[in-house]
Amino acid sequence: MTGRRNEVPLLPMSDAREAALFFVVCALCFLASLAALSARATYSAAADWTVSVEGELTVRLESADSRAIAEAEALVAAMPGVASARAIDRDETAALLAPWFGADGLPAGLPLPVLIEVTAAPGSGRIASDIQRRLAERGFAATVDDHSDWAGDVRRSLGVLRLAALSAVALLAATAIAVIAFATHAALLARRDIVEVLHLSGAEDRFIANLFERRFWILGLQAGTVGALAALGGVAFLVFAAGSAPGRAWLLPQLRFDFWDFAILVIAPVIAGYAARGAARLTVMRELSGTV
Amino acid sequence: MARPASDIFDPPSVRFDRVGLRFDTADEVLSDLNISLDKGSFTFLTGASGAGKSSLLKLVYLALRPTSGEVSLFGRPTSQLKRTELSAIRRRIGIVFQEFRLLDHLTAYENAALPLRVAGRRDREYREDVEELLRWVGLGERLHARPATLSGGEQQRVAIARALVGKPDLLIADEPTGNVDPDMGARLMRLFSELNKRMGATVIIATHDLSLVRRMNAPVLRLQHGLIVRDAEFGAAS
Repeated sequence: MTGRRNEVPLLPMSDAREAALFFVVCALCFLASLAALSARATYSAAADWTVSVEGELTVRLESADSRAIAEAEALVAAMPGVASARAIDRDETAALLAPWFGADGLPAGLPLPVLIEVTAAPGSGRIASDIQRRLAERGFAATVDDHSDWAGDVRRSLGVLRLAALSAVALLAATAIAVIAFATHAALLARRDIVEVLHLSGAEDRFIANLFERRFWILGLQAGTVGALAALGGVAFLVFAAGSAPGRAWLLPQLRFDFWDFAILVIAPVIAGYAARGAARLTVMRELSGTV
Repeated sequence: MARPASDIFDPPSVRFDRVGLRFDTADEVLSDLNISLDKGSFTFLTGASGAGKSSLLKLVYLALRPTSGEVSLFGRPTSQLKRTELSAIRRRIGIVFQEFRLLDHLTAYENAALPLRVAGRRDREYREDVEELLRWVGLGERLHARPATLSGGEQQRVAIARALVGKPDLLIADEPTGNVDPDMGARLMRLFSELNKRMGATVIIATHDLSLVRRMNAPVLRLQHGLIVRDAEFGAAS
């Protein structure tokens, strides 16, 4: 035994207090990882939901026959800023309404609107009012629904959710730091006899702080890893649940696990370790500065 | 024996200038002490229990700060030193605590090597020296024993080895022979004396053992109610 790595730690090995702290840091890291993943999921959800509807419009014609439908479809398709326009036939409409009316088809007398699905050309801006005006000029009673309007609402709602998730991450991180600072203070009191002997043997504050830093760095890393793995398990369960019930849950179909989610779970224990280390260092240095 | 010329210009290892010590609002534990211990001196500190011996020693090994006056070590007023400088001074001091203060989770060897480890030295650099020192104090067979498994006398010898291992410039011992047999007590006093004479270390020993004081030809500081009542009394001559 010659290297410093093999030397016995000057602080005794962990005790029951540190086991409790391990659990608390683990739980906080689990919650923080879930919150961070939630924040990231809102990005994915916002992208999924808005990309598919950005530039999409729906024209609803009142009481039009097939000739009028074809004429309106051609008129809209020829307008500047329109990439494509396609009338939705009765069968497609029935398929869209199937979740409410069942697979047996629509009731015979049910009045259905005539819909034209319009895709705007990229960079064409807002063309809903132009379409509405042009159709009115040609005598069509039509209503144009620009999906971008509610896509903006979705983005704003998801922005609020994201802010809430990030706030939760910050709050949980601050809580973890406070808990570790408190635990370090308690550990310092519990080890006061050891600290005093080291101090009187000529150990500098930095040397003593390093002992506590190393201890809490390892604790933060280990507890953070367990917490992140638990979060991974939780997410895997949700993704599995979403996959096993496609189309039946409002949010679950948006869930997936990609590189950035994995990066969050890898980084979380490292952040927990650094937070623990920093909290321990600050606490010990502050406490020692008050001694002789 | 004449002292080397260089020593004549050395500042005192320990100097107290009108030092007083008081805990909170209680009466002064130590009052208006003026002490000067030359480099390489060997001094006994005696006095009844509660006379202030331990408090005086704590001021010397920088566990306490005086409430009045100035404590200077190795020519440096300690009130003016930064914390890192105080640590450097502490590394020049070896302390044998009355209650030993060994670290329970470390072995005898690891406890004895503690000051060297704190000073940043590596195990391979000091292993032989520490083991030899422990063999010298009679613990060659107990190198890997933890304090809980050692007798009081063995624990005290580990504490003494820890104080000596860094070859300190100033050795402070609080009742160092209190838990050892007379033979080991005599050996330890010879070791302290050797450290004092060969290496020029300043030695301060607090003791109740007046027979020990009488055997050694060394000055005695006698404390009574926080005051020095006898200074420069020689044990063997008195």
